[in-house]
Amino acid sequence: MSSPNNSPDLEESSGATVAEGAAAHGNGGGRPESNENEAVPLWVLAACGVALLIAGRILDLGGGGGLLDYQKMFRTRYERTPPPGSAEQGPPPKEALAAYMAKGAKIYGAKCIVCHGPEAKGDGANFPALAGSKWATGETERFSMIILNGLKGPMSTGKSYGAGMPSQAIPSLSPEDFSGVMTYVRNHFGNNTGDVVTVEMAKAAMTLSAARANAGLQVTGDELTADHLKPLPGKTLDPKAMVDPVTLAPVYVAAPPATSPPAAAEPKATPKP
Amino acid sequence: MSLRTFILALASSFGAAWLSIIVIPFFKMRALAPIPLTQATDGASGIFFPKRTGRVADGARVYAENGCYLCHTQVVRPTYAGHDLYRPDWGGLKDDADRGDTRRETNAYDFYGEKFAQLGVTRTGPDLTNIGRRVETIYAVGGDPAAWLYAHLFNPRSLPQLWQSTCPPHKFLFEKREIKGNPSADALKVPAGKTREWVPDADAQALVSYLLSLKKDQKVPAALNFTPKSTEGNP
Amino acid sequence: MLSTTTTTTDHDSQPLAVIDRSLRHPVMLFLTAGAAWLALAILLGVIASAKVHDPGFLSRHGWLAYGRIFPAHLNALVYGWGMQAGYALILWLSARLCRKECKATGTILTAGLVWNLGVALGVMGILSGNGTGMPWMEFPGFVWPVLIAGYLSIVIWPFIQFRVRPAGPVVITQWYILGAMIWFPWIYITANVLLHCLPGHPVMASAINAWYMSALVFLFFTPVALGTAYDLVTNATGRPVPGKALANMGFWSLAIIAPWAGMQKLAGMPVPYFLPYLGAAAAVLLFIPICAAACNIIRPLWAGRATLAAEPSVRFTAAGMISLVVLGVAMMVLNIPDSTLQLTQFSLSGYGFDTLAIYGFFSMVMFGAAYSIVPRVTGRAWHSPKLIEMHFLFSVYGLLTVMLVTLVGGVVQGMGQEDWKLPWSGVAAIANPFAVAITFAWCLILFSNIFFFVHLAVMWLRWGFGGLPATEQETPGKTVMHDGEDHTEDAAAGHEPLVDPT
Repeated sequence: MSSPNNSPDLEESSGATVAEGAAAHGNGGGRPESNENEAVPLWVLAACGVALLIAGRILDLGGGGGLLDYQKMFRTRYERTPPPGSAEQGPPPKEALAAYMAKGAKIYGAKCIVCHGPEAKGDGANFPALAGSKWATGETERFSMIILNGLKGPMSTGKSYGAGMPSQAIPSLSPEDFSGVMTYVRNHFGNNTGDVVTVEMAKAAMTLSAARANAGLQVTGDELTADHLKPLPGKTLDPKAMVDPVTLAPVYVAAPPATSPPAAAEPKATPKP
Repeated sequence: MSLRTFILALASSFGAAWLSIIVIPFFKMRALAPIPLTQATDGASGIFFPKRTGRVADGARVYAENGCYLCHTQVVRPTYAGHDLYRPDWGGLKDDADRGDTRRETNAYDFYGEKFAQLGVTRTGPDLTNIGRRVETIYAVGGDPAAWLYAHLFNPRSLPQLWQSTCPPHKFLFEKREIKGNPSADALKVPAGKTREWVPDADAQALVSYLLSLKKDQKVPAALNFTPKSTEGNP
Repeated sequence: MLSTTTTTTDHDSQPLAVIDRSLRHPVMLFLTAGAAWLALAILLGVIASAKVHDPGFLSRHGWLAYGRIFPAHLNALVYGWGMQAGYALILWLSARLCRKECKATGTILTAGLVWNLGVALGVMGILSGNGTGMPWMEFPGFVWPVLIAGYLSIVIWPFIQFRVRPAGPVVITQWYILGAMIWFPWIYITANVLLHCLPGHPVMASAINAWYMSALVFLFFTPVALGTAYDLVTNATGRPVPGKALANMGFWSLAIIAPWAGMQKLAGMPVPYFLPYLGAAAAVLLFIPICAAACNIIRPLWAGRATLAAEPSVRFTAAGMISLVVLGVAMMVLNIPDSTLQLTQFSLSGYGFDTLAIYGFFSMVMFGAAYSIVPRVTGRAWHSPKLIEMHFLFSVYGLLTVMLVTLVGGVVQGMGQEDWKLPWSGVAAIANPFAVAITFAWCLILFSNIFFFVHLAVMWLRWGFGGLPATEQETPGKTVMHDGEDHTEDAAAGHEPLVDPT
């Protein structure tokens, strides 16, 4: 049993209130100090100091631009930082021919397939075949005028198809999609021209089409033979060059291109690391 | 210290915080104005309104009742708060066929139609902000996204790529019933006996509709577009 | 011994015997009902935790699904056990420190039964698939008005007791209890009205919910437990609180800092940008009141460890305070935005914090108090020191496991989550061993509490050692044990028995 002075009887106290009262009355001898002024150990103060420092830094981060700004949901002047240790931006570049054809396949599937069929063989009676078609695989300007304006009258085979093809520029056809579908038809379904109709060429075709004498009307075989029997203006693109698959823009390496062998007229492009 | 002083001190210390971080932001966020779109900066007009098609309210209720929020989050944090945007298919798709990189942060308009944003408690399972997009373009490509999700809910480990999944089976959201005439379109490819089939009940259908509506990768107005300006038009 | 009389000079206060007798039914109701809910909560916790690493376990029925069992576990723990243990202590400490018997026993008992009914309906609501999906507020919407009505009926009397207390200094325990009684309804009504009754922005609703969870822990459970711990220290050592200035600073720093904490859970989410940072700063700063209280409580216990270490009440309280310090350090270190916060935000660390706070700190202090209080109200002594020892040891083992998971497991899991090149199956695999560890911890805690329930049942049902009334054997702050000593001197000294021996 501990000494009576150190363990006040249960019925007399619940600890503090009576003990303080007893101290005030100068109760007995050997009563311990009330320890009211016992010093806080230094390490406790240091730990609390650390907490204050950390909290201060957090408030700094949170207060950039003013604490209690209820309108701001994101950090001021926030821009996404790229993932550390990698320079990837966007989808990886693809070879030009593949990229253009991928785009073209989608347009074909959306616009052309309904009439010309999944194998581009047409249906004999109403819709001409594109597979093996001379007008599709021949000069690019002729091909582009057909797509942009539609076609009426006899084909290269001499056959006529009623009211003809409507223009595919409606409702809208972006230059990327346009060049893509032309490249696709020319390199698929058994056709194998091996070249790429670039976005630049597609844009030129659209300008040319708007400048036609019969702008707004379908072209005819005669007009095509007369005016449009030439390749579209524009720099040719190496089918193996690397392009961005979404914008179809060529992707260049930072260093200047290596000197190209005399046979190649276009600049060599290599993928970004 | 008297009781009155104590209560005053308590009320002011608590009340200051209560007003500043609870009451005032509650009423301000309630009145959050939509962001207007302009032709010049956004190429469209009107207001920014991320549409969600599907049974959002019903499905959110089933999601909440079954505790999905305990293991799945629905937030893609900005790059200063986490690495969520670096994953190729969380904030959107890194290689979307049409639009390229569609990944974006979650914004305050993304939870329209829900009373309580199920932002999530832990990430035991992956984030679900764009689960609808992921199921349609990656997991169930060439098949039926709803069927994939039903199969997942019924028994997550039945799907070969998820054989280690710790997502609990939700058989109780399905019922086994007699085949009436032809098998139901929603019937699971799980053997149920000669004349019976497993079909999702109303809760499962609502939940799957909700999950398929989770496609938060729309184009955002300029005010919420945080792509770094310097990398546009590279090199 | 000091004076053997049982009267005091202040005629408004009453002998402790009368006070303790008046408290018997309310306190025992809350402690035993609370203990029953604790049993259920821990069992549900074990099942829920097992499902995390073994999802096929008990997966046939909807009401056992993880998404329902886990909220049921948490809500039963918080509202079934936590709040009721809190009520028992509030009533006990308030009556004794204000020297006024509990007169409203009828009201309090009815309110207590209503509380238990509300919690039962709530838990059944969750398991039947009608939970609200708001963490810690999953009870269906009709439950919260029932609970707040019960709460107000229970605490109105302690509040009155404080108003009519005898003149004299007010001890720190009374301030903590009073604070808790005022904070809880403010927090609870705010959260429930804003989330259930008023239409608001969905993300802000989530923010208020996060604030509610933190405020409940730091502005109800923490003050009640700290008040209890302070009271135990003064009783056990027989001295008043050392460092009164420190104690006051601890209380007021808690009052000022804690209301701002909680929203760090919403870092990076579309709420006003500064809110999560204020929350994180407050969470870090909570270390200060924790440190102040721990200093004041652990130091005198440590100084008196020669005589006190054997006392179960003291051991439980000390373990609880150490858990609190670990919680404080963990919160300081793991809530730093732009470094550790993004790792722990969605990891097991959050559950670890909750478990440390509610079981590690609050519950251990409550156990310590229960081992001291129950003999006094039942007039029976505890049956066996061995049972208490097992309760203590296995709880400590369980808590050590939880600390490990919180501090280490959560961070490792978070690092895996942030590794964007790692496919998710790899990330999930990292969490697995820690999920198993949590199940193991809850099994240990379940095991430890079986001893507690058995012991409590023996006490309550008055099996075995009917024996001597409690007062004749005890000294304040000391758990009453059957220790075989001769106490005839005490009996001869004419102490009034606290309870009617029949």
